[in-house]
Amino acid sequence: MPSPATPRDAGGRETGKRGVPGRESGGGAVTRRTGPAALRSPAALNLAVLLLAAALWLRALPSIDFRSIEEFGLLDRFPLGFYAALAVLTFGFVLTLRRAGTAPLWPATYCAAMLVALKAPPAILYDTVRYAWASKHDAIISRLLAEGTVHPGRELSGGMSAYDQWPGFFSLDAALVRAFGVDGAASFINWAPVALGLLTAPVLILVYRTFSDDWRLVWTGVWIFQLANWVGQDYLSPQGFSYLLHLTVLAVVVRHFVLPGSAGALRDRSELDPAAAAVPPPTTTRQRAVAVLFLLPVVATINASHQLTPVMLCTTLFVLCLTRRYRNLGLLATTGLIMLVWNLTMGRALFLDTLGTLREKAGDLLGNSRPGFAGDPTGPGPELVGSANVLMVLALGGLAAAAVLLRRKLARSALPLVLAAAAPLPMFALNDYGGEMIFRVYLFGLPGAAFFAAAALVPAAGAASRAATIARRTAAVALPVTLVAMLAGFLPSYYGKEGMHYAPPGETALTRRAFDRAPEGALILAATGAFADSYYRYDHYERWFFTEQEVDENLRMLKDPAGYLAGGIPAGKPAYVILTPTQGEAVIGEGYLPEGGFDSLRQALKRSPLFAVVEESPHGLVLRYRPTTGG
Amino acid sequence: MAHPRPIPRVQRRAALAASGWIALAATAFPGGSPLRWIPVLAFVTLGPGLALLFPQPGGLRPGARLEALALAAPVSLSVATLAATALFLAGSFSLVVFLVSLAVFVSVAAVLPGVPLPAATRGAVEREGTRPSGGFRKRRPGEAR
Repeated sequence: MPSPATPRDAGGRETGKRGVPGRESGGGAVTRRTGPAALRSPAALNLAVLLLAAALWLRALPSIDFRSIEEFGLLDRFPLGFYAALAVLTFGFVLTLRRAGTAPLWPATYCAAMLVALKAPPAILYDTVRYAWASKHDAIISRLLAEGTVHPGRELSGGMSAYDQWPGFFSLDAALVRAFGVDGAASFINWAPVALGLLTAPVLILVYRTFSDDWRLVWTGVWIFQLANWVGQDYLSPQGFSYLLHLTVLAVVVRHFVLPGSAGALRDRSELDPAAAAVPPPTTTRQRAVAVLFLLPVVATINASHQLTPVMLCTTLFVLCLTRRYRNLGLLATTGLIMLVWNLTMGRALFLDTLGTLREKAGDLLGNSRPGFAGDPTGPGPELVGSANVLMVLALGGLAAAAVLLRRKLARSALPLVLAAAAPLPMFALNDYGGEMIFRVYLFGLPGAAFFAAAALVPAAGAASRAATIARRTAAVALPVTLVAMLAGFLPSYYGKEGMHYAPPGETALTRRAFDRAPEGALILAATGAFADSYYRYDHYERWFFTEQEVDENLRMLKDPAGYLAGGIPAGKPAYVILTPTQGEAVIGEGYLPEGGFDSLRQALKRSPLFAVVEESPHGLVLRYRPTTGG
Repeated sequence: MAHPRPIPRVQRRAALAASGWIALAATAFPGGSPLRWIPVLAFVTLGPGLALLFPQPGGLRPGARLEALALAAPVSLSVATLAATALFLAGSFSLVVFLVSLAVFVSVAAVLPGVPLPAATRGAVEREGTRPSGGFRKRRPGEAR
């Protein structure tokens, strides 16, 4: 929000009027400083720290040994310089906060730099698509381009027809592939986390600025959001894209949908936390109607792209309606109507199917909030990731809860953010979303949680009481320590299972050869679908990812893998088994198989007369099912 | 309405209106060339949103500039997604049709006044019962109180 009562023509003259020494313009340039004095200015210090971090990062980048990942993912493959660069960036960011109100471009630059430092290495270094589900989306885009249209009514194995029923995001990607003149989305797919992060941050700032005038709080919230966004939904995916659009709707709603006469005591500065912003000006029915029209393409795109985000959006708008300030039934009805229309037309098949499963899953809170399909991750690397995930959630939740309790005035004026953060929780009562629900609920609660976590770490400036002074001194230490701790939590959470996410070109080539060799309509078996190119030319084959089930069933399967698989292959169906090192990492990382289970499975299938080796190399093993032989 | 700096505003509108056609022309470069993908990406990511939000007769107030910049990309990508989805659903997607439809949209939107979101035009309080006076009244200092 604009600073209160700032005249339209304030601009540069404002600096002189206020006479703040060394005050910088919005562009971060130092005003009226020359020679040695300029070198000692805050801007020069910010620049020096940034350059140091950049130098350390650039030097470390070629040494990231991603080709020999072992059980700790990239954690023990990042050189020390990489960690040092991240620590320097954190230190520099905290320094920039001291002048965040007058030089907001510096914290912005540091936020962008941290995003790039954290998420660009795979985009720069990897020679294949990172993350199995990203490669699945690459396959969907390739098919869309090959077919030139979608077939929402056609049944495809493994639930793949859902992508034809919600084709919005893939249509955009397919259009971009053609517009860039490249072979496929693989050429830009690894940059998606950086691009989505860069597009999300400004929208997040809009939301945060609606509730706080304190730029330190706003930027710290953005920083924490970046570090706490470890759930891996920022790859080239409909949910990553829809999440950006969901935040966009939230930003427009909180800024432009305040009902007249609803602010009450919140217009009184003495009723507000010192860091809180005044409630945005109320809008007329006509202005809100214009804003609904403006949001229509955004809401329509969310509905054309993803199944769950429209539900989350409606839930968020519904809880906002519980406040007098944002009781906008028209917007809620419009959003709900768009969702219903899409679900009853394009998405009819999956929608009706999901309604059917609701009967058995609704109310199963524990089952629906369980991550993944199977048991706990096994092995030191995945266990470390699991612990880091839990600690991150506890730290963020603890800080946010503390701020809501201790800064009640801020929580009152920013109640919409509290409600938006809590809105996804009822989703646990409805569905498990394939073991993903817990991560999605966390993700949709994150903007509010990050804001209040920042509020716990950035006490209000200006208050002169003894308690306020103690809070400021404590925060001076707690802020950098917490940000470093969150960084330490982010890295294992995001990169701790990288063995699952990076497949060397030899492995993807082996997988593609195996698919190409199989006849049309063949059944392709793999331990899990979490490996690169598992959905290569997916409309030509059927797939069975046989360990993606309850652990007890897998233990039964391990007693006689060949017999178990043969029993599941329909008579007369040509069938092939693909086992790759990435799958070996994934079954451990996801807890499908006990340690050593994948190797024993591999050996048992190789020995079995029911399967013939077609190809074997360090990149994987391909077997062909031969039902007529022995057995 | 007085326009203190009409020429830059006209230039901005003209640049926006031309951006789609420049992106279309850039597709003549070989596939994957930065001369091709950078203008195309910039246009698809920012063009439609900026064309909808930026051309305000009174100019954008400082707070609204951040809003316009932040919303430009999600709105642009939404418009581009709807265009691409409609073309694929109709089975008639082609690069030229896709870019021309977006370029026409942006050219038209750039010459029309921007969407009058309150922060962009006035950011002012509309007291209960009052009607906006055509949408583009300049805000007086202190009006937001």
